Amino acid sequence: MKPLALATAIAATFAWSLAAADAESSIPRMADGHPDLSGVWWGGADIGGRPAGGGGGRGAGGPGRGRGGPAPVTFSSLYTAEAKDHAKTLSDKDDPTLTCTPTAFGTLNVSLWDVGGVGQIVQTPKFVIMLTETYHGWQIIPTDGRGHRDTVPPSNRGDAVAHWDGDTLVVDKTNFNDQTWISAEGRVSYHSDELHITERYRRLDKDTLEVEATLEDPKVLTKPWVVPKQTLKLAPFDQIMPLDCNSSDVKELIDAASAQKR
Amino acid sequence: MKKILFAVLGVAAAAAVPALAHHSFAAAYDMQSPITVHGTIDKVLLRNPHSWFMIDVKNEKGEVEHWAFEAGTPSGMIRNGYTPTIIKQGAEVTIKGFRARDASQKRGMLRELTTADGKVFGLFGPQEDKK
Repeated sequence: MKPLALATAIAATFAWSLAAADAESSIPRMADGHPDLSGVWWGGADIGGRPAGGGGGRGAGGPGRGRGGPAPVTFSSLYTAEAKDHAKTLSDKDDPTLTCTPTAFGTLNVSLWDVGGVGQIVQTPKFVIMLTETYHGWQIIPTDGRGHRDTVPPSNRGDAVAHWDGDTLVVDKTNFNDQTWISAEGRVSYHSDELHITERYRRLDKDTLEVEATLEDPKVLTKPWVVPKQTLKLAPFDQIMPLDCNSSDVKELIDAASAQKR
Repeated sequence: MKKILFAVLGVAAAAAVPALAHHSFAAAYDMQSPITVHGTIDKVLLRNPHSWFMIDVKNEKGEVEHWAFEAGTPSGMIRNGYTPTIIKQGAEVTIKGFRARDASQKRGMLRELTTADGKVFGLFGPQEDKK
């Protein structure tokens, strides 16, 4: 290598190292040294909203948005033959989220968001608390090394525990019921009570959170579903909104309107 | 009773189906059956899974009909500039949308709402920055 090329390569490597060090040093940390994942995280905009730079609201970063190429691997694309047959008996009218039931995972492949596109993390020395805006979901995830509880019933979002692998938070979720789907929007994605989700959260810098997930369900899947890596951005607000979900009284209003009884 | 202005128009204003017609909109609403109604707002429900605009409309016989139009998720509407008080009860509006597949229902999917002073709202709130 010529001296000028060598010098350029060294300078580029040095600059990259400085940038990486800057990103590393911008990560907020807890007193125990672990990254602090606290913040409101979204894709850069809310559903139907104006992009706030970078991301794109609903549709940001998920599968199936590109043109051409093979169809994205989804949870239901890995169904066993028997599960595929059962899926054919279901349609979007059976989507549990229409009656305010959350998903087991998330429509945009981000469990923090559930059916929406915004979620908040609050971290304490003992717990990482994940709060979902749409449908008001929450998970209190212990990080002190305890295991799963055997005293709680199966639930829509499962029981979660976590541990740190270096700077990566590894979340393990089990004990789901079989009453939810993996995602919403009418995409048939039912699962069994043997659903097991592993997620890895890593704060890349002050404004960026990377999430990886693997879903296993030996009752209905031929193999685990490795979810495409998702990149979340820190939102320019620090509090999610209290927005109710209620489909029952709306149905009454619609029925009343139709019957002209009001 | 609030002042009722016009009748159901049922205008066949062919319009592009919103790119973000999600959840079971396609199952619940007939995108080949556009409808336009003009009346006064009875109630706005900003809530999940979707928001609703309830509107009183006078039909061709002069009778008041109560219609319900489904809109987007409240968080998206609010972050797009919609506020809970921006359209009050009694406000005169025109709503363009698509009728429910169940024709017995006076129900539709909101595509565009225009206020008396010309403000335009879409499935997810204000539209002025989207043109």
